[in-house]
Amino acid sequence: MSEAAFGTIAQGEPEIRGRVSEPRPIWQAPLLPLGIASIFVGTMVLNDVTAEIRVLLVLVGIAAGYLGLDAVCQRRWGAGFDTSAWLSGFWLVLIGLSAILVQWLPLPESKLVKNALRETPRLRPDLFSGHPLGTNDQGLDILGGVMWGARTSLIISLGAVAIGLVIGGIIGITAGYFRGALDSGVGILADSMLAFPPLILLVAMATVFEQNQWTMALELSLLGIPTYIRLSRANTLTFAQREFVLAAKAMGSDNRRVIFRELMPNVALPMVSYAFLITAVLIVAEASLSFLGVGIKPPEPTWGNMIESGQDGFNFRDHPHMVFVPGIVMFMTVFALNRVGDKARERWDPREAQI
Amino acid sequence: MLRVIGSKLIRLVPVLFLVSLATFFLVDLIPGDPAANLLGAEGDIDDLEAIRKSLGLHKPITERYGDWLSGAVTGDLGDSLRPPHQPVSDLLQSRAGPTLRLSAMALGMSFSISLFLGVWSAHAAGNRADRMVSGTMFAFISVPTFLAGLVFIFFFVFRESVPRWIWVILVGLVVLRLLYLTVSRWWEDRRDLSGWAGYAVAALVVAGLLFWVFVQWPDFPRTASHRYDDNWREQLRSLFLPALALALSEIAVFTRLLRADMLSTLQEQFVLSSRAKGMPTWRILFRDALRPSSFSLITIAGITLGRLIGGTVIIESIFGLEGLGKLIVAHGVIPKDYTVVQGGVLVLAVGYVLLNAIIDISYQYLDPRIRRGRV
Repeated sequence: MSEAAFGTIAQGEPEIRGRVSEPRPIWQAPLLPLGIASIFVGTMVLNDVTAEIRVLLVLVGIAAGYLGLDAVCQRRWGAGFDTSAWLSGFWLVLIGLSAILVQWLPLPESKLVKNALRETPRLRPDLFSGHPLGTNDQGLDILGGVMWGARTSLIISLGAVAIGLVIGGIIGITAGYFRGALDSGVGILADSMLAFPPLILLVAMATVFEQNQWTMALELSLLGIPTYIRLSRANTLTFAQREFVLAAKAMGSDNRRVIFRELMPNVALPMVSYAFLITAVLIVAEASLSFLGVGIKPPEPTWGNMIESGQDGFNFRDHPHMVFVPGIVMFMTVFALNRVGDKARERWDPREAQI
Repeated sequence: MLRVIGSKLIRLVPVLFLVSLATFFLVDLIPGDPAANLLGAEGDIDDLEAIRKSLGLHKPITERYGDWLSGAVTGDLGDSLRPPHQPVSDLLQSRAGPTLRLSAMALGMSFSISLFLGVWSAHAAGNRADRMVSGTMFAFISVPTFLAGLVFIFFFVFRESVPRWIWVILVGLVVLRLLYLTVSRWWEDRRDLSGWAGYAVAALVVAGLLFWVFVQWPDFPRTASHRYDDNWREQLRSLFLPALALALSEIAVFTRLLRADMLSTLQEQFVLSSRAKGMPTWRILFRDALRPSSFSLITIAGITLGRLIGGTVIIESIFGLEGLGKLIVAHGVIPKDYTVVQGGVLVLAVGYVLLNAIIDISYQYLDPRIRRGRV
């Protein structure tokens, strides 16, 4: 939710990275088809068995399939191959594609209750039916809701990150380059912005602004700006002492040229690599607001308000898929962003590379 | 030393000023006239003027900010606008208890769990166990708190046999491992009592714990009520799930931090000499290496406490806890009672700033490099 969370994800794995590990033994490769078979059996063959056994089969299938895939990939591309990071990347591409393509897909109604009156409410997920991920208590399709939710989440969080990146980046670079009174003033500003408990601040702002995708992106960018100010300032400090900046100054560049032509291209890359981690945090923040009922409101499905609509009383006890399906999608997206962000930061943050 | 502390304190003043300014003007932006809002649709136009006067809304905004700030400094945050018109400071005081207890419990849980996980995975760095712990911790960081709360409600309240058997399986595996170690050490050299007896005792203790928890498994309530204020057992039981949900991501953060610090400590010469002297592993880990590695953990634990106090709003509303966050949302934001919002946000933000400053200053005392310099 805040600085500390980014910081510790950013701690990374400094120590045993140099060590060459053995690839996973190839005899584990048959686990891949076995796992897929188990998922297959769990999702479609045993339709009459209780839900618990099917869920267990799917979970075991996923674990076994992952081990098998890992063995195959490490055999093919060497022991350094990071299967989970690649899978995370694929998941992000999938989420991105579904956010872009959802409006052209022939999905059952997932927004307006009046168009879903003929649908059976509370259908369990069944991958080979008209509602692959089931329906909610009003008969709205959950797969469609999840995909529309992906679009809302991505628009809001990526928009907020972009605003934060530009504003925070410019402020941070300027402060880190000029130092002095400007720097300490910016530091105080960033400190005061970080002083507010993030969720409380967002909730308070939700009362001020009409909530839609664009205002929410603006509000959430307030969480990203102080972090980006600190990041870009710290990176600027390391770059401003380098020889190429000195050379540019010696050749008579003015400050604006040094900032935009020398510092900005160097600082931009590590900042963009942090964008994954910050996007993950903002997705959670957006979902939390929608969950509390002060974000995007129901006819427009989001992960947060889908979870909220399924979490009360008997619905939750007897039909948990209304909470778990959007919940798992959100968890996987956040996990994938953290995983990919960790890799990106390791690769592109110069402060990390020096260690 | 004093100069460092002094400069940090001086830096606090503008931060606190900006925080108060932002709090006041943010709430002032709420669309609509607070007085009209308060009066409702059926009010009289004359009453409107009276209410505006009594709230001081006829004064210019700078003057109102001055009044509010001077009140806030003396602990008077005004009265809530909705009936019953209580002083906001009283409201905040009465709601601080559950939030503080919840945050402290979450902090304690994450601290104690991550202590063992961090030390153990640093000891077993690179092993399969360590990789499993690291992977799990990565997953924990990615679980949003409210989702964790709902998952715990589902499994601990609606499907209570699932966590019970997960407990049996996980701890049972630990017992089996300890038994295996006992037998294999005993097989190696049965006269060397110190070799295997420790493992045997540990296996017995863990098995006892496994059995005791399984038998005593409590019914966790869906909503954590504060009715049991006097009964600490009831309170522990009702706060367990919300605290665990809050602790989940902190466990991951602490474990990763402790593991990284511990790994670098274990490379040090004094650990090598301890090993060479033949000290038992647990003693090296917990007596020698833990203390120098726990420094950044303690720092971040303090920051976390501040963050938790402000961040419990969603957990409070899931579990129906009457805490500070819920007060601000349910009594301030939703009915647009702006004195409650102003007071609550100000208290939380100022508390967070002060806590951070205290940690920052105590850092000066705790840092072993500075301490060494003084001796």
